[in-house]
Formats: sequence, C-alpha cells, structure tokens
Amino acid sequence: MHIASNVFLHVLLYVMALVTVAPFLWTVMTSFKDLGDILTYPPRWWPSRPTVENFVNAFQAAPFGRYYFNSLFVAVAVTLGQIVTCSLAAYAFARLRFRGRDVLFYLFLGTMMIPGQVTMIPGFLVLHWLGWIDTYAALIVPGLASAFGTFLLRQFFLTIPRELEDAASIDGCSRFGILWRIILPLSRPALATLAIFTFMGVFNDFLWALIVVSSDEMRTVQLGLAIFRDRYQTDWGQLMAASTVATLPILTVFFFAQRYFIQGITLSGLKD
Amino acid sequence: MGYCSLFLHKRLCKMKTKLLTLLIFLSLFGCSGKKGGEEGRVTITFWHSCVSSTVPALNELIARFEQEHPGVQIKAQYVPTGDALIHKLITAVQSRSAPDVSWIHADFLQNLVEADAIYRIDEVAVGPDSLPRSVLNDIYPALLEQAKWRGTLYSIPMEATEIGLLCNRELFRNAGLDPDRPPQTWDELRSYARKLTVDRDGDGKNEQAGFFVPVFPASGQYSGWMVWQWYAFLFQAGGDAITVDQTRVLYNGDAGVQALTLWKNIYEDLGLRSFTIDYEVAFASKHLAMALDGPWNIPRWEQIRGLDWMVAPLPAGPAKRATVAGGEYLALFRQSTHPKEAWTFMTWMLRPDIQAMWSMKSGYLPVRRGVLAIPDYVAFLDAHQPLKSYVEQLEVGQAPRPIDYGGLKITSHIAEAIEQATLGRSDPKAALDGAAAKSNQVLSTAPRVELP
Amino acid sequence: MTARTTAGRRGEGISALLFLSPTLLVFSVFVAFPVFFSLYLSFHTWNMFGSESTFVGLDNYTRIFRSPEFWDVLKNTAAYTLGTIPLNMLAALGVAYVLNKRIAGKKLLRTAFFAPVIMSSVAAAVIWRWVYEPNFGLLNYCLSWVGIPAVNWLNDPTAAMFALIMMGVWKTFGVNMVLFSAGLQGIPDHYYEAAEIDGAGRWHRFWHITLPLLSPTTFFILVMSVIGSFQVFDTVYVLTSGGPLGSTKVMVFYLYENAFKFFDMGYASAVAYVLFAIIFALTLLQVKYLKARVHYA
Repeated sequence: MHIASNVFLHVLLYVMALVTVAPFLWTVMTSFKDLGDILTYPPRWWPSRPTVENFVNAFQAAPFGRYYFNSLFVAVAVTLGQIVTCSLAAYAFARLRFRGRDVLFYLFLGTMMIPGQVTMIPGFLVLHWLGWIDTYAALIVPGLASAFGTFLLRQFFLTIPRELEDAASIDGCSRFGILWRIILPLSRPALATLAIFTFMGVFNDFLWALIVVSSDEMRTVQLGLAIFRDRYQTDWGQLMAASTVATLPILTVFFFAQRYFIQGITLSGLKD
Repeated sequence: MGYCSLFLHKRLCKMKTKLLTLLIFLSLFGCSGKKGGEEGRVTITFWHSCVSSTVPALNELIARFEQEHPGVQIKAQYVPTGDALIHKLITAVQSRSAPDVSWIHADFLQNLVEADAIYRIDEVAVGPDSLPRSVLNDIYPALLEQAKWRGTLYSIPMEATEIGLLCNRELFRNAGLDPDRPPQTWDELRSYARKLTVDRDGDGKNEQAGFFVPVFPASGQYSGWMVWQWYAFLFQAGGDAITVDQTRVLYNGDAGVQALTLWKNIYEDLGLRSFTIDYEVAFASKHLAMALDGPWNIPRWEQIRGLDWMVAPLPAGPAKRATVAGGEYLALFRQSTHPKEAWTFMTWMLRPDIQAMWSMKSGYLPVRRGVLAIPDYVAFLDAHQPLKSYVEQLEVGQAPRPIDYGGLKITSHIAEAIEQATLGRSDPKAALDGAAAKSNQVLSTAPRVELP
Repeated sequence: MTARTTAGRRGEGISALLFLSPTLLVFSVFVAFPVFFSLYLSFHTWNMFGSESTFVGLDNYTRIFRSPEFWDVLKNTAAYTLGTIPLNMLAALGVAYVLNKRIAGKKLLRTAFFAPVIMSSVAAAVIWRWVYEPNFGLLNYCLSWVGIPAVNWLNDPTAAMFALIMMGVWKTFGVNMVLFSAGLQGIPDHYYEAAEIDGAGRWHRFWHITLPLLSPTTFFILVMSVIGSFQVFDTVYVLTSGGPLGSTKVMVFYLYENAFKFFDMGYASAVAYVLFAIIFALTLLQVKYLKARVHYA
C-alpha cells in the first residue's frame, strides 16, 4: 500500500546517510593518497596511485598501538565507573526522599553549565597534589562521576512505572536490590546510551589528556594525532591515515553493538 | 544555586588558602626525587615539538649527543606546538614538574621570566661553560634579539627559520615572465601577481592566483603567523613594532600603512577573498604562482611530481631588502636538578658541525654563520637550491623588536587590523590606528622599569 | 503510621547518602573545588605563571560588560544556538523516528549517522574546509546545479556562521539521534496498539502518542543542547577560529582566548561565571515553562 512512500523514505534516508558519512569516507580515501593526489584541485575522490605509505609513516612516527591501548583502557574504565556511580546517584534522585534532594539535584545540574576550560587548572592542581600526574588515575578518576549521566539516568528512571518496584519491595527486596534487579535491567537502553556517550567523550578528549599526561607511554590517540600538525603545516596524508585507524574500530563496534546500545533486550519489561 | 555559592564563598576562600598552601608545600617535596636515571646516568628531560617529519632527525641528533656524553641521557618528549606547548609549560611550572630544557617561543618568554621559571643564560654560562663572545657574534643577530627579554639573554636558538618567496616557474613561463628574474620590488610583486592571475572560465572568480596574501582569522591559531609574515613587509618599509623605550607601538607609522596597503591592494587585485586559504593545496596543484613560504615546506614540494618550483628572496620594499627571521629557542628551567648537564646539551647544539648536521637532516636553517665554513654543508647547499636561497637570505633576516609587556595582545591587535583592512572593513591607516590605540592602552598599564 | 513513615524517611536518607557518596566524593574534589577556585579567581588578576594574584573586586565583571567585544561574542553564541538546535533536533528526531520503523539496512544507516560523532575534529575540519572552498569546493559545486551563485563560506561573516552551524549540526546530531532512538523504544507498544484499534492515523499517532510520551527525552535533549551550544568550542576552534572579523567568536572561544592566549585567568573566570549565569537562567526558564508539558509514563 505504502510502497511508493516507503521507497521514497528509503532513498531519502540513504542519501542523507551518504551525505553525512561522506566526510568520513573522504578521510578514508585521503589516507590512501599520495601528497600529489591530496594537494590537487578540483579534489579527487579516488586515489590515482593508491598507497599505504601514509599508514606506514604514521605508525613509524609514533607508537599508535600503545596510544590506542591507553585510549581504550581509559575510556572503558571511565565508562564502567560512570555506569556505577551515575546509576546509584540517579536512583537516589529519582526514587528516594531526603532533605535537600532537589537543591542538591539542581546543584548537580548546575555544574554542567560551567565550561570545562575554567576548571582545568584547579583540577590539575588537585591531581598534582594527589601525585597522579602522568598516571592512568589522572585520566580516569576525575571522569568517574558525571552530572550529565546522573541527569540522563534519572530521567529514564522516572519513566519506569513505580508499580514494579512496589511489588518487589513487598517481596522484601532492599533498595539496592530494587535498583539492581528491577531498575537497571529495565534501563539497559539508557545505560547503553550513557556508555557510548561517555566512551566517545573520553576517547575524543584532547585538552585534559594533554595537560595531565607527559610521557609517551601514557599518551592517548588524540594526543598522538597532534604530531601531524605543527605551527606551520599539517601532514594531511598521515593525519587522515591515523584518524581513519582511530575511528574505524569504534565505528565497527558501534555497528555490531548498537542493538545493545539502543534496543534493550529486556524492554519487554515495560510492556505490561 | 547562586545564593548557595555566595554563601559558601567566604568559608571556602579560607579553606582554599589553606589548601593552596598545602598544595604548594606538598609539591615542593613531591617531585624532588624525580630525576636519577639508570646506572648513574643523569637524565635530562627535553620538551620539543618536532613533528613526524623531523622526529627521525631529532632521534639521530640525540643518539649523537649521548654517544659523545656517556653520562647523560636525553629524554625527549614531544609536546604539540602552539597553544598546547604553553598550556603544558604553565601547568608544569605550577606543579614543579617542568622539564630541564624545553623549546619555547619568543611570544611567551615574558611570562616565563616573570614567573622566574627559567635561568638567565649568564647564570649558567660561567667559567668553563661560558658562552664565548665569538660564538654569540656568530649567531644571526635577528635570532639573538628574540632570545632576549629586556636586553637580557634567557634562551638560545636551536634552529632558524624565515620566509622567502615560493614561485612556480612553469606558471611564470606561461605568463611570459622570466622565472630566473623573480620580482625585485613591491611594484613588481604587484604587477607580477596580476599577470599571474587567471580567470579561465570568465565567471569573475580566479582559478589561478598570482600571489597568496596570508590573511587568516585574527582570533585563530594562524594569526601570529600572519602577523609574523607581515613584519617582513613592515621591515622592508623601514618600520618596526614598538619604540625602543617600549612606551608606544610603531606599527601604525608610515611603514606600517605602506605595508598594509600593499597587502590590501594585492588582496583586492586578485580577488583573494574568494580564493582558498589552503595555499599549500593551491600551490601544489598549480593554481597559485607565488606565496610566502618557509624552509619547513621544502620536503613537501620535493614530493610533488611535475612541480617546477623555486625559492626566491622576498622583493625589496621602499626602504630596504629584508625578511623576517625567527626560530625555536631552548630555555633552561630553574626546576632542573641537573642544570649543568642541561646547559651542556644546549651549548652542544650550537656547535657548527652539529648545526650543519641538524640542518641537513631536518631542513631547518643553521643559527650561525660559521656553519657556512663547513665544506660538506656548502656542498649540500649547492645541491639544494631552495635551502641555499633561504640560508643566503638570513643575512637580511630581521626580527621584530621584542615587546616586553602584553606582546600577545598587541600581536592580536595587529592581526585584527590586517584582517579588517584586507577584508575591506576599514582602510589600512584607520585599521592600524585603531589597533595602535588599543595597544598603547595596554602598554600604559605596564609596570615601569628602568632600562639597562 | 506516622512513626513508620518517619522511620522510612530516615532510612531513605541514609540509603540516599550511600547511593550518592561515590559521586559526591569525586565531585567535591574535581568539580566543587575547581569551581570555587575559579569563582575566587574571578575577583582577582592572575597570569597563571606567578604565584601571586591580586584582589580586584568586581573589576573583571565590569570589564566584561564594558567590552563591546563581549556583546558581539554573546550575539554570535545566541545566533549559533538558535541556528543549531532546531536543525539538530529536527534531523535527529526525524532520523530516529524513521529508523524506528521497518527500514532495510537500519544498522548501517545508524552507523553512518553516528560516524561524525566519532570522527576526530581535526580531521573533520580539514575535510570541511575543502567542502567550503569557494572555487572548487563541493558545496558551491552542488549549489551551482540549482543555480545558486558561489558563496565565500569561510571568508564572509554571515556565511561563516552558517558554515559553522552546518558543521556543528553534522558533528553532533548523531548523539541526539541515539537519545531519541532510546526514547522511542521506551514507548510501550500497547499505546500504539490501542490507538490503532481506535483507528488513529499515522500523524495522529505521532502527535498524540509519540510526541507526548517522548517528551521527557525531548526535554532532556533540549536542555542539554542549549547548554552544549552555549559551550561550543571544538568546531569553532578547528573550522573558523572565530573568524572572519570575529564573526564566529563564541563565548567559550573568547574565554579560552583570554585564559590560554592572553593568560588573563581572572577575566576568563569571570567570563565563565557570566556564561554560567546565562546558561543557568536559560535552563531555569526551560524548567519553569516547559517542564509542565512533559509527560511521564
């Protein structure tokens, strides 16, 4: 019945998707071009002399394997940590009654409105005081709590019918038990959403990592990418090759795992 | 929220003072034992911004140093340049985790000196480690000028760089111009630029531009770079940035107006507003005939097949022949636990044979004339025309008189004036005068000091 | 009865404390302290290098309001926000809504829409600069098909803001798409089933079921987007650097410039607090006027 409109919808979506992803595809294409192909007008889509030299040179310029490990390790640690801390805090804000709850909640929200650049220097001083400069702790611990995550999860928790919890609490479930057995399984999509955002945020962070880490062994991918740019010039080919390598695996993970990010399997719990 | 913060503010301030004291106290001890090195070797931490293309040369350099100095190990750490370098230096100095030696730029020398973060050179260059006058006299004066703050030497140059005129010989020939006779004067630059500009399809937009006037957003990361190139033209017209007594700026004088007018005229003649700002792409793809460029790009142009290019000296201005020269500077940090060894590394870098080797491997220019007495280097230059052209032009290299106070703000004022004049928001004189008024305002707040 | 409730309340207070403690600990050290420290700085001048800071009272704040540049920057930020949010949210909701239906290649499509979020800003900016190139750029080339004359995207003050908005929407709408997707999946099917039985059409279902039930998500996204676009920095830094002629200089860029280019930390902190006050006021307004319209299931 709706075949025509359905086809139209598909075409529209695919065109939009292609436009959206084109800059990324261009990055991938560029990473296989030699300098002559990159520096050409009008720009050329396909490399005329495909080469993997950019990848080879990029990986010789810096130990990207190590950088990659660091980025992944830090991003995973922060993500897991935030899931724990944010769901605990969000539950308290969504379901528990205590004095000053709303004030505290709005204070939390308020902190999101402070631009990160301004808390950078004092934050650095604290880390230094703790002796954490140039360690994983410096990259991980400050990210272990998040107003955004708390807010996000609280909003989702509020959409979960209370009746489910009441039933459980009659069965003698503790507060923590309710959070663990009822709320969290129902919130998988929200948790997954929080997980990708946190992961992306940490994985793409540049300024903070730059400040708290000095040695090569601790450097993250984003810091590594900077080596292809200096005051006067950019090494386009190598920059594109390195950022292709930095982006593709994450994109692949997203492709295969998006079901878990977006469609919680236990969503059925929401259907009566 | 607002209430709460105000209410808490007082108490927290007190707490904070205590906390800060504690922080500073702890930090004094925190890092004292950081350097030791293996097997009794002294480790020198060295921060640099050598990018992927120069890292191999740097590694060779360090290996050579360590071979000659078995007791010293150089731990080279890459720090992204520009804003990133200064961010790291600030936080490192704050937390007493500064490197022993670091690349610095003249832009923020003032801040490092005011924070008492780095040694004066005369503090470390003593006795057998002193820097002979013969060495100092051998260094290009423009470079030495930028290594000083208020007449006192605080750093030494590691390598030199400057700008020349990059030309596409093929496009010269196509336009009926002789590539072996590049423009010699400003007027010639303007007329050549016009002849080399082509609108093939007649749509009012030029596919090929004769010259690239480096106009970038004044608030961006290239604004300092734009001003630096403009200085070359300011010098050619006989001007400078600031008066000797540092009380007011000079860039809005006749020389400044002439230099900016030239830029504006060429910019408008060639319709550069609708031309790309990625001049490297345009040059490599033969859409641009002339551009200001530096030695760092030589390896890049060599890679492009079928590009017939050369480097010429900049044309002479109404007053003289000049270019702007600068470099990367090495400073020795007070937090270093091995200043003597660090200083050894710094002076080693000045040795003519090391300078020659560094220049040949990295493509940077040497910082002293003595290098030109080394036969190997002379032979190398003869085989590399562009590098030779740059090195020869260093003789007329000039550095802007260092601005002792508020230099970064003043540079951004100049950048704004260049942007306003070229994009047609105001005429060169008015733009420069407006900027100068702001700069002089900044200077009037400077703490007064006696000049030596 | 009363006694029991009180006991229950007290119990909740203790649980709440336990639940909140990890977050509170991290926050007090890495957020509260820095925030108060910068508030302190906003009443001082400090160049970050030296240890001394001088108390200057409200000077930094009066300097802000007297600076014509600040008002320009505020205007630019507002323009960016007004330009970005509607486009961003419409695109995100549209794509999420359609992708929630039976579409072939859903996973691939979603990945494509999400790719910009993951891409490094620096690499993305290089590509976008080529897209916006006036003579041979892709965008002008496409515009020429429909007879629109070439635009100097990055060299014209008005066009540059537009160019920035487009890249901003491109870079971030994937985030909101994922949020909307999660929100859409959270709407129980039985609402639709009931509506279908009642014979409601597609539009009717969208307006009367999807939108209201999605409103907590929408509200969340709106609040976050306002905060996010008032704090935009990365795309500006890599694409336009605030130019030409300062036309894309936004608040955080201005703050960054003062803090890390001119080392005027006190002034930058004061700018941060002014920005904070603006965002706070806008958020309060949204809470006050929009929250009543949010439906919770």
